[in-house]
Amino acid sequence: MKPLFWLAIFVIPLGLIIAAVPQNTTHPYKLSATELLNEANARTQFISPETVADLIVKKDPTLQLIDVRSRDEYEKFSLSGAIHIPITDLLSEENLAQFDQDVKMNVFYANSTVVANEAWMIIRQLGYSNIYVLEGGLNYWFETILNPGIPSSTSADEEFAKYDFRKAAAQALGGGTVSALPAEGNAAPAPRPAIKAVPKKKKAAGGC
Amino acid sequence: MGPLAINEIISENTNLFLAFVVGIGFGFVLESSGFSSSRKLAGVFYGYDMVVLKVFFTGAITAMLGLLFFSLFGWVDLNLVYVNPTYLTSAIIGGVIMGVGFIIGGYCPGTSFCGLSIGKLDALVFIIGLFIGVGIFGAGFNWWEGVYMAEFLGSPKISTALGLTDGVFALILILVALGMFRGAEWAEKKFPRAEY
Repeated sequence: MKPLFWLAIFVIPLGLIIAAVPQNTTHPYKLSATELLNEANARTQFISPETVADLIVKKDPTLQLIDVRSRDEYEKFSLSGAIHIPITDLLSEENLAQFDQDVKMNVFYANSTVVANEAWMIIRQLGYSNIYVLEGGLNYWFETILNPGIPSSTSADEEFAKYDFRKAAAQALGGGTVSALPAEGNAAPAPRPAIKAVPKKKKAAGGC
Repeated sequence: MGPLAINEIISENTNLFLAFVVGIGFGFVLESSGFSSSRKLAGVFYGYDMVVLKVFFTGAITAMLGLLFFSLFGWVDLNLVYVNPTYLTSAIIGGVIMGVGFIIGGYCPGTSFCGLSIGKLDALVFIIGLFIGVGIFGAGFNWWEGVYMAEFLGSPKISTALGLTDGVFALILILVALGMFRGAEWAEKKFPRAEY
């Protein structure tokens, strides 16, 4: 009787504490502040609109565009193949499952870079990789892809190559009404980023 | 931060070595609690010695409270902790086989190795029977694979199945366990056996 009494005295308060406290569902940050600062300064997370346009035109299955604006803006206009994760819902469980993979490139975009970059910072700090931000957002996308400006005659060849590529992409993606110039040389969009294989965090295999 | 091996804070080999050390500790505790005696172990089915119930339930409650408190402090990510998958049919059949074996033989697999380590011959016979059973299961796997994999329910936890949080379920389990310990002491008084 005595040992049972002492066991009860010790264990029941612990049980009461653990029952009263809300369950811990926080996701810890995996990157330190310094590491994230280095990555943000290196600006490697940005993808140019040309690269994304190239991937869309080629129907590359590894591209996954994610619209982080509100639902109304998403329904008014979104890039082809984009899914909608408003930044307010970024950390819900189903949405986080979208990032725990190493097959697709998740590219955040918004009207400009600011909100998409915020989403990138948070998701990156939780330790997920293969996440990128559309450089310049939709504003820059409209400027460059859908209504590209004609480079002046003194520009370098690459500028013309880029312009031709943008024209072709615009036609494929449905924009701009200026007729295309004949292609000169190869269009050279930036090479698409490589997908980093992430070692899958398996649960501990157990059994007795 | 935890589980350590999954988050690659320690390597897989260190994990195995720590498992070895913990295993030695487990065997030591079992042996020093007298779990090498098959008569003491079988007593839980006859009522004269309920130590098996007390020791294993205390261990389970300690582990449960430990994990929940570590999760509270942020030291363990509970989503990465292994929960046994539930195959309902094979769990029931396996439980019956294990229970019958326990009553007849007086050992369960872990304690049989405790008994063997101090040289008990009934433990040796139990282990031989264990390996015969494993062999039969493996040889005939094609026949009972269907039954073995039937009714897969995923890895449900009782707390989620009942709609409670883990903490509330832990408190209920503690109270139930303490009640069972009182019941065990009553049983030991009601079914005494002078010598075993």
